[in-house]
Amino acid sequence: MKQDKIIEVQNLTVRYGDRTILENINFHINRGEIFVIVGGSGCGKSTLLRQLIGLELPTYGDIFFEGINFTSADKKTKNKILRRFGVLFQSSGLFASMTLAENIALLLEKYTELPEDKIEKIIEMKLAAVGLSGYQDFLPSEISGGMKKRAAFARSMALDPDVLFFDEPSSGLDPITSASLDELIVQINKGLGTTMVIVSHDLASILNIAHRIIMLDKSQKGIIATGTPDELRNSNDERVYKFFNRIAS
Amino acid sequence: MCFKLLISISFYKILFLIENCLILNNVCKSSITMQNNTQQKQLFEIIKIDGCLTITPISTITVYNANTIQNSLLLDKIDSDIYVIKLDLSKILEYDSFLIVLISDLKEFCNEKGINFELIGTNDTLENFINILLPKKKEEPVTIRQSFLVAYFSNIGEIVKIIFSDTFKLIEFIGELTKNFIVSIFKPKLIRWKDFPHHFMNAGVNAVPITVLIVFLIGLITGYQGALQLAQFGADIYIADLVGISITRELSPLMVAIIVAGRSGSAFAAEIGTMKVSEEIDALTTMGFDRMQFLVLPRVLAVTFAMPLLVIICDLAGIIGGLLAGLATLDITISSFLAQLNIALNYAHVFSGIFKSIVFGLLIATIGCFRGFQVQGGAESVGRYTTASVVSGVFLVILTDAIFVFLLSALGI
Repeated sequence: MKQDKIIEVQNLTVRYGDRTILENINFHINRGEIFVIVGGSGCGKSTLLRQLIGLELPTYGDIFFEGINFTSADKKTKNKILRRFGVLFQSSGLFASMTLAENIALLLEKYTELPEDKIEKIIEMKLAAVGLSGYQDFLPSEISGGMKKRAAFARSMALDPDVLFFDEPSSGLDPITSASLDELIVQINKGLGTTMVIVSHDLASILNIAHRIIMLDKSQKGIIATGTPDELRNSNDERVYKFFNRIAS
Repeated sequence: MCFKLLISISFYKILFLIENCLILNNVCKSSITMQNNTQQKQLFEIIKIDGCLTITPISTITVYNANTIQNSLLLDKIDSDIYVIKLDLSKILEYDSFLIVLISDLKEFCNEKGINFELIGTNDTLENFINILLPKKKEEPVTIRQSFLVAYFSNIGEIVKIIFSDTFKLIEFIGELTKNFIVSIFKPKLIRWKDFPHHFMNAGVNAVPITVLIVFLIGLITGYQGALQLAQFGADIYIADLVGISITRELSPLMVAIIVAGRSGSAFAAEIGTMKVSEEIDALTTMGFDRMQFLVLPRVLAVTFAMPLLVIICDLAGIIGGLLAGLATLDITISSFLAQLNIALNYAHVFSGIFKSIVFGLLIATIGCFRGFQVQGGAESVGRYTTASVVSGVFLVILTDAIFVFLLSALGI
């Protein structure tokens, strides 16, 4: 795995009015790694994710994608960068009025000039990769929660993004479905070399798939630990140790 | 010589502008090129040794240059002596899913023509990529295919089924509402009265400006159109009868009902629908609350109380509109208009309108809540049933009004 930085966050501070959510955050994500952001409820995990995917602007600080300042980039550059991102939202975010095929075709139709038959082929391919072969004509309301996540995964991969972001991928899924989604994340990461950025507090999943983890803390409003799953599980910091070993405070 | 070569290469299934060619001991080498406005960029190297055609991508193969690749690589004129096509990926610079489409197309083509296909020059990363995305076998869509006729009639059947099922469910809903209302008469505390002022405010007070304006304009239009006709017969003064009776009996209750259906009926459907989607209704049920007493009755009562009050205000606005139209176009005075209105209007006209508005209010709120409870799934369903609440609300209001016209006329009211 190459160790070059694909995303770098520098001095990121996020405030809503007088309330500071994140303060002076610094970290980077390497190309091709599975990077997990963890922390207790309300620590700012989802806020950080929203910053990384450009849904919100930070109060201070910068986010760099391959050396380009994503935060201060003009709309055109931002859109170019966003095209290289795929996002899997907590509630899937599939368009309910469209079939799975239409959901995936949306990006391909907007950003490429592929003929219809090639788009269909890519849709079939992406759905097969997430184990949903033949489900292209189904509406999101006609499939289960786990299948929705998989379909959203296929949509997020439509343009072969360099980075895939996941917001709580295992929320609302049973352990088996959750484990199979984890397996899929690892498989896609290995096979396609896609960088995965996951926000989660599902310990079993995190420890199973993460290459590197950062842990956020609500009181510190920032990162309190960075490392591999093993490093964090054996951390000397009491808060980190308790979190990774499921010990009540 | 060069010209000859150009022709021979164009017979391979590969198509493009040839940048350079050379022949060396039965070896033919060419480059598939990409035509650009400003520059030419090579996409493939093609080598033919006897019957073996090796295609080597030497540039990027992505969805963004897919069309150029497609236009370049035309596989319909291949020589009959080709027995194997090799795709050599050792020199590929950048790729995405379109590479898999290309491999899949080449494979399909080779299968059709009985040519062998080989993939060479791959590394571990490429193999992983191909293994994940290359379709193992063509999967049929998971759908039940029907013939057009069967689909047509089953569609009609479905619609009829939905209409009947909707009607039965609505009757059931009204029954449940009535039962709860009767229970609540004896135990009024069961109703969530806290919500009543909020709904009364929204459905009634906040609707005053728009309903007043619309009925005023309707009165103005009716008065103006009526005045043009009445003036021809010298029956100017009867504008008061025309405006007074039509506004109080029909137009005011009907227009107010349509506006309230659009404002409050749809709002109820959307509110309750969203609550259903976010499992708030389930939470209420598990906490032991009755959905009728908690959600429906406060809304239904608020609209039922608000409607007659709105209609009374709008009656006045409509008559003023008619009066202004009469004054502007006919030879009448305010006092003569009011004197004639006093003769023409009786309690039956005014109260039949008010009574109708109570029924309309009941219908609109009930339908709005009913449609809200029908929501299933997500946002799209909320939108569908919100629209349905307005359409069915307005339809039922007009249908009920038509029934009232016959009933009241039969009763001589």
